[in-house]
Amino acid sequence: MNVTQNWLKTYIDFDFSAEELADRLTMLGIEVEAIKELSTALNGVVVGKVTTIRPHPNADKLVLCQVDIGEEDTLQIVCGAPNVREGIFAPVATIGTDLPSGISIKRAKLRGEESHGMLCSEKELDISEDAAGLMELSSDLPIGTGFTDALGLDDTVFELEITPNRPDCLSLIGVAREIRAETGNDIKLPEVNVQEDDTDIREITSVTIDAPDLCPRYAARVIRGVKIGDSPTWLKQRLESVGIGVINNIVDVTNFVLMEYGQPLHAFDYNKLGENRIVVRRATEGEQITTLDEEERKLTPEMLVIADATKPVALAGIMGGYDSEITETTCDVLLESANFQPSSVRATAKALGIHTEASYRFERGTDPEAVIPAIDRATQLIVELAGGTVCQGTIDVYPGKCELGQIQLRPERVNFILGTELEATEIKQILIRLGFGVDTVQQDNIYQITVPTFRRDITREIDLIEEIARVHGYDNIPTTLPKGDIPVPKPNILVEVRRRIKNYLLASGMMEAINYSFCHPNCFDKIRLPEDNPLRDALKLQNPLSPEMSVLRTTLLPSLLVNAQHNHNHQIDNIALFEMSTVFLNGEEPARIAGILAGEIGVGVYGNPYKSPDFFDIKGIVEGALEVCGPTDWTYAITDEPTFHPGRNAEVLLDNQRIGILGEAHPKVLENYELPYKAYLFELDLEKLADAADFSKRFEPIPIYPSVLRDLAIVVEHDMPSDLPIEIIYSTGGDLVESVRLFDVYVGDQVQEGKKSLAYTITYHSATETLTDKEVNDLHDKVVNRLNQELGAELRL
Amino acid sequence: MKAELEAIQAAALEALKDVETADALESLRIEYFGRRGKLTDVMKGMGQLSKEERPVIGKLANEVRASLTDAFEATKNALESEHQEQKLKAEAIDITLPGRKPAYGKAHPVMQTLERIEAIFTQMGFQVVTGPEVETEHYNFDALNTPPDHPARDLHDTFYLTDGHLLRTHNSPVQIRVMESQKPPVRIIVPGKAYRVDYDVSHTPMFHQVEGLLVDRHVTFSELKGVLVSFARQLFGDQTQMRFRPHFFPFTEPSAEMDITCTVCRGEGCRSCGHTGWIEILGAGAVDPEVFRAGNYDPEEVTGFAFGMGVERIANLQFRIPDIRTFYENDLRFLKQF
Ligand SMILES: [Zn+2]
Repeated sequence: MNVTQNWLKTYIDFDFSAEELADRLTMLGIEVEAIKELSTALNGVVVGKVTTIRPHPNADKLVLCQVDIGEEDTLQIVCGAPNVREGIFAPVATIGTDLPSGISIKRAKLRGEESHGMLCSEKELDISEDAAGLMELSSDLPIGTGFTDALGLDDTVFELEITPNRPDCLSLIGVAREIRAETGNDIKLPEVNVQEDDTDIREITSVTIDAPDLCPRYAARVIRGVKIGDSPTWLKQRLESVGIGVINNIVDVTNFVLMEYGQPLHAFDYNKLGENRIVVRRATEGEQITTLDEEERKLTPEMLVIADATKPVALAGIMGGYDSEITETTCDVLLESANFQPSSVRATAKALGIHTEASYRFERGTDPEAVIPAIDRATQLIVELAGGTVCQGTIDVYPGKCELGQIQLRPERVNFILGTELEATEIKQILIRLGFGVDTVQQDNIYQITVPTFRRDITREIDLIEEIARVHGYDNIPTTLPKGDIPVPKPNILVEVRRRIKNYLLASGMMEAINYSFCHPNCFDKIRLPEDNPLRDALKLQNPLSPEMSVLRTTLLPSLLVNAQHNHNHQIDNIALFEMSTVFLNGEEPARIAGILAGEIGVGVYGNPYKSPDFFDIKGIVEGALEVCGPTDWTYAITDEPTFHPGRNAEVLLDNQRIGILGEAHPKVLENYELPYKAYLFELDLEKLADAADFSKRFEPIPIYPSVLRDLAIVVEHDMPSDLPIEIIYSTGGDLVESVRLFDVYVGDQVQEGKKSLAYTITYHSATETLTDKEVNDLHDKVVNRLNQELGAELRL
Repeated sequence: MKAELEAIQAAALEALKDVETADALESLRIEYFGRRGKLTDVMKGMGQLSKEERPVIGKLANEVRASLTDAFEATKNALESEHQEQKLKAEAIDITLPGRKPAYGKAHPVMQTLERIEAIFTQMGFQVVTGPEVETEHYNFDALNTPPDHPARDLHDTFYLTDGHLLRTHNSPVQIRVMESQKPPVRIIVPGKAYRVDYDVSHTPMFHQVEGLLVDRHVTFSELKGVLVSFARQLFGDQTQMRFRPHFFPFTEPSAEMDITCTVCRGEGCRSCGHTGWIEILGAGAVDPEVFRAGNYDPEEVTGFAFGMGVERIANLQFRIPDIRTFYENDLRFLKQF
């Protein structure tokens, strides 16, 4: 909402500069989002006095003026205005001024005579449409002063952010009340004095409320014989200064009073109301109304309408009807000032998609006690500006009369909550300035607070404490550190697992990605999940932003493939990404970590070239990730998951339970993501990993006795897994085998077709003695024999 | 004989000065110390000396021998050092060639910021807890004192799921979940994702928040100020000024927003801060009694405060990314910058 400094000053005195006022309001909780100087448009226009006039030698209708603008020399200005004369005070646009009407003032020659500026009419200054002659200024204005300054047109607009709990501040008087809280100065309410004629309003109209639950109060007045026309300059200026368009004198008055009191008003053309009366009721099934914006609206029975004898004539609290609006021919006006139930207005406005200044205020709640002052104020202004006479009396149907709120406040509770040391009298003072009634009960230990009707947001002691805090000033509340005990945190293994794996992956050269939790439902097709795969059972959004963001992820892999695709499309082909996130599966949100390697990975400089990743790169990364979490007894098994190459994938098993999967993406998956190279993926279940995690460490003695290393190369069937011989070596050697390391795999000319050679280094070691050559040789022979017997492995010499 | 020895010594030392190679040094060594060497010859003549002369000349001879041995050794070492030096010079490489730096990854910029925030609160005794992102109306709104027709719901454009659940619009529901599951004192932060229907240069439909909650028998608004000022000093630096403005949140009362001096203009006023010199970074307030009741805490027995901040917003105070949706494209040219 916008307010201006000058307009505010008509309701309360204060002497803050614009910046000070903005700061005070902001620190009271009414955030000033922008400050705009109104007068900058007329910079360069000053008060001038025409001292002498002589005829223009070459033009009959022009004269040469000498104009005093308070400088050493007078200016010669050529002027053709009919009212120009010696001694006249008028606005002078000096050289270099850009007027709002679009004229730029330059040194000019008019019919051969120099002119050093321009004497202006009101129209030229965009003050009114009056172009008949020079704007005559009072001769007591100081010559040479800025025009806007001299006339008090200087004003500052404040754009305010009013929080939803403070509808009372959606008005000039409401903001003025906040300034009262700050300064203690009194509010100056407009003086309202309505002259009525002899016709009793009850004789010519009536108001019936059929839905008192939705309309606690409805007041009406009738003004007859008005003349519709333009509003005067002051009113237009006021409305335009806060960004409200001007329409005609009647509508402008209702908008002016809306801004003044925060009470929306509506003016009907009295003669267009069926039977000239008002019925406040719910719409009936199938009813329609054409609103002011000429839109046809279908109504439903929950919606409250203002109707005449037969049909709706307005959407209650939202927008008037087209057929009963004020037009140039309107003669008699029925003025409405009412109070509507907020949630009803809110629901109707939302359902119809109409949001107006009126609905904005009613949705948040207006003051039922503002109904009468506002209608009287508007009535008075209408008569002033549009003529006509006011029927005697106001119809005021008030079925929902509200009681004044009563709250008990414990002053010591204020200090308890805020950490302040406010005196009870200070607290009382603040509340009084805010408009609360304060009575003491029980010797100052408790205050009985009466809440004014415009503060319906205040219902509890804590609400009062907030009021005291903000008026006392948040800046004046001390800044201290908590005195309470620090609770002992519970250990969280998942957090530790996440931390360790993330550090490990970062050290392995993978970049962290974050993707939206939403994905396109076709991503399950793209990663070739079978129709019955449980991962397809994704939660759907009712109101997605786009199909790409319409279901919740059940796996992280599609997002990473999209990331690879995005990067490849931008010629970035060094893809090593991981993401750690929850997914949404079976009503739970399990934590996952997934990664992708594709294109060329590594650093890619001389001596450290890029390399194309392969299965063992992704497997190595997963192995490392498992190792940093402690478990060592995981195993791998090939799967038939269709996302992966059928011969190059593995599930990771811990205690025969799958904790993750890794492998080369299936060529069809690569095709679906338009990737021209292989991609390697993994995804691990972090919760299962956390269950298996073991961060306990125990010292193992560093070997005292020397180890003996023996290499062993065997020829086996080509499809034999490389870890089978290792198991046999360990089981044969028992404690005496410290480690077995595969260091070569060979297939080629040197071995028979269909076979391969595996080369291991075995480290023999005893914790209790130095092994002799013979002992090692015997053991090694035993290993060779068992490998031969059980696997058909032949020693390769 | 004495003169002879001294002459040999002087000649040898003089000759050593001109030695430039190991070979020349060896020739010289043979010339003096060899079987027919000059010094050897003199030593051999010792037998012909008188009894009186022998010890005197003998002592002198030994001294000459020792000193020459040292001199030869020194020359040898010098030659060797020089030789090595030259060899090393020949081994020089182009040290401007790239180092063989192992590839390393970088945490996502939003996570880097989130982790800094977490670390600061963890040091102040806050425990990290998490909660579900798919929530109910109850936890996301009703229990947080935001009934269905509350205007504050307008501020949250909510993603609803087809099964009636919703995606949490903030991390505050975890406040209620924690109160339901543990007794005070509570001192937690809740980092994580939240969702709102919003998609433009300064909004992403998914974003990260850090929510905080401190509840104890007597927690004051002044302590809220203390904790958050301490946090902001640590995150933004000692020079940063903070201010608290009254604001409105349904689940806190009194409510506040905290501003810091604009990181672009340092408080002078610029376009980034709307010429105010201040930038809002978080919302906070004393826990509303209704929220305590919803969490089964008695508001007469405990008080507390809560706060919440958007991680992307704080991250972008530093990074100044014109379109924050860039955060979630995962373009490697972007991720590598941070
Ligand atoms: Zn700034």
